[in-house]
Amino acid sequence: MFLEIKDLSVKIENKNILKSLNLNINKGEVHAIMGPNGSGKSTLANVLAGKEDYEILNGKINFKDNDLFDLNIEERAQEGMFLAFQYPVEIPGVNITPFLHSAINSKRKRMNEDEIDNLSFAKLLKSRASDLGINIDMLKRSVNTGFSGGEKKRYEILQMSILNPDLAILDETDSGLDIDALKIVTDGVNKLKTKNNSFLIITHYQKLLDYIKPDYVHVMVNGSIVKSGGSEIAAEIEKDGFQKFQ
Amino acid sequence: MNIQDNYQKNKKNIFFSENNDVKSHREKLIDIFENDKFDKKNNESIKNINLKNFLDFKYRYLAPEETSLISNNNDNNYSIVSVNGQCSSFKDDKIEITKILEEDYNDFSENNTIEKNEHFVNLNSLFLNCGFKIVIKKNNNIKIKISNIVTDDDLTIFQKNNFICEEGSSLNLIEEYENKNNSTSNILNVIKLEKNSQLNHFLIQDNSPSHNLIVTSHSSCKKDSTYTQKVYNFSEGYVRNFHFSELIEINSEVDLQGIFFLKDNNTSNNKTFVKHLAENCKSNQVYKGILNDRSKATYFSNTHVDQVAQKTEGYQLSKGILLSDNASFFSKPELKIYADDVKCSHGSTIGPIDENAIFYLRSRGMSKIAATKILISSFINEELNSISDDQMAEIIQKKLVRYLSKVK
Repeated sequence: MFLEIKDLSVKIENKNILKSLNLNINKGEVHAIMGPNGSGKSTLANVLAGKEDYEILNGKINFKDNDLFDLNIEERAQEGMFLAFQYPVEIPGVNITPFLHSAINSKRKRMNEDEIDNLSFAKLLKSRASDLGINIDMLKRSVNTGFSGGEKKRYEILQMSILNPDLAILDETDSGLDIDALKIVTDGVNKLKTKNNSFLIITHYQKLLDYIKPDYVHVMVNGSIVKSGGSEIAAEIEKDGFQKFQ
Repeated sequence: MNIQDNYQKNKKNIFFSENNDVKSHREKLIDIFENDKFDKKNNESIKNINLKNFLDFKYRYLAPEETSLISNNNDNNYSIVSVNGQCSSFKDDKIEITKILEEDYNDFSENNTIEKNEHFVNLNSLFLNCGFKIVIKKNNNIKIKISNIVTDDDLTIFQKNNFICEEGSSLNLIEEYENKNNSTSNILNVIKLEKNSQLNHFLIQDNSPSHNLIVTSHSSCKKDSTYTQKVYNFSEGYVRNFHFSELIEINSEVDLQGIFFLKDNNTSNNKTFVKHLAENCKSNQVYKGILNDRSKATYFSNTHVDQVAQKTEGYQLSKGILLSDNASFFSKPELKIYADDVKCSHGSTIGPIDENAIFYLRSRGMSKIAATKILISSFINEELNSISDDQMAEIIQKKLVRYLSKVK
């Protein structure tokens, strides 16, 4: 099993958010989690990425034969986990290009691979940026600083494409995107899909799933997955809302 | 030994002791020291300072055996090594350097607004034992680098320097303070900018824990002149930087920047007082601090806009990153505005490093320590990028790397 979440319960500031959650993802699969506001979707994404604000009450997570809780935030990233943030953080003064260069090399170091040199990295970055319709001038700017909502999401996908993760978690990547930006972002995701990597897509709406076809759709309500199935569930939610699952 | 005893015992060795005007001024200063209650609550300039170190000291000064080196590298670049606050005389068609003169004594001490509350300035006037005067002649554009060296332990340097930029001149002045011995330097720089002149003043402070450095400066700007001061404080010893500025004629500007990097138990006090006394003048202040361990810093700033100073622009900003729960930064920017057509603002943000930014960087594979260091560098990125002098930029970068290497 690529990612196995077993009986996971999590709280923050005395509030139980995830309650005995189970989820299995195999290599090459695309899973979508849909759920109403406050159901715990982003908490799940943050717990997987290693955010330290949460208290793990119970459960286990295995990722690529590692106990995920034995790995800190950066080790998870270096092992191939990637979180595309719902609200990417603005970091003035940290230039995009050296930051991403350093990120890719920290992963290669862990994998005992040679570091990528400046020139090769610049070529790679330029070509991936052009695939995503990102202006080269944007790569001279500070991380997410002064970006529009759409630019931030596009830049998250650019990072994903450079870091080439084994498991990408997209936390409401569709929020704040107009239809053209949604198409560019989802095209970028589809180009990255291979039989060796997996995706966990968190969204409110079926719209995103029109562009990225999931193998499995899960409905999350009140901290637990209450129903799993195929794309037909997304259509059901689009028609009737989440009410009937609560 | 207390102030009066020190003075009585050493006055023969103190500059201008035979001058009656100076003598009577100093007697008044002694009275202030004798009668002042040193009320830290109401006199902010002495807050967070261990006054005992400064009021109860043993006066000791050594005149240097060797005169200071002044070299002109032929391309408008001059280097000076000032030893124990002294500098040899020098003259060419661009600059003139002389020892401090009696007539220069009153330049700053006459200003009662400052003197009343500034014990360090009073100490400097009382025990003055060294200093020099540099005049940049009309319409010249030059660069001077001054290395300020203190040769021995237990020295008390009370130094006063005058910098005069004549009309149309431009000076890039780099001052380095890198002292390793257990001494105290109390320096007063009096800076006069004539019409259409410019002074870019860089101060790099990097003293060992046992060296106290007190730098007070006073600039006055005439029509169309600009004074820029950039202080980079990497010292492990106590440092106090106080700048008092007067914009006395139209279209003059003062731009003050102070960046300090503190750790252990160190303290850095920063104080500014900017007086807008004419129309169409600008002042801008940016003070930023990175504080680790149990270090402390203060930034007291006062911008005063006189009623004649219409069309003033005056900005104050201070920011601090606290890397430890035990570090503290107290900031108090103040504006006093008596004119009605002005643009002024002040702001201050102090807090720990942004945890969300750390999480974001770590989630891309960067270690916590690397993420912390990159965020510290980014915090002062704008100021570092604004250094146009390559030599300065390189020096600051090296010191920043050294500071960051100790951040855990």
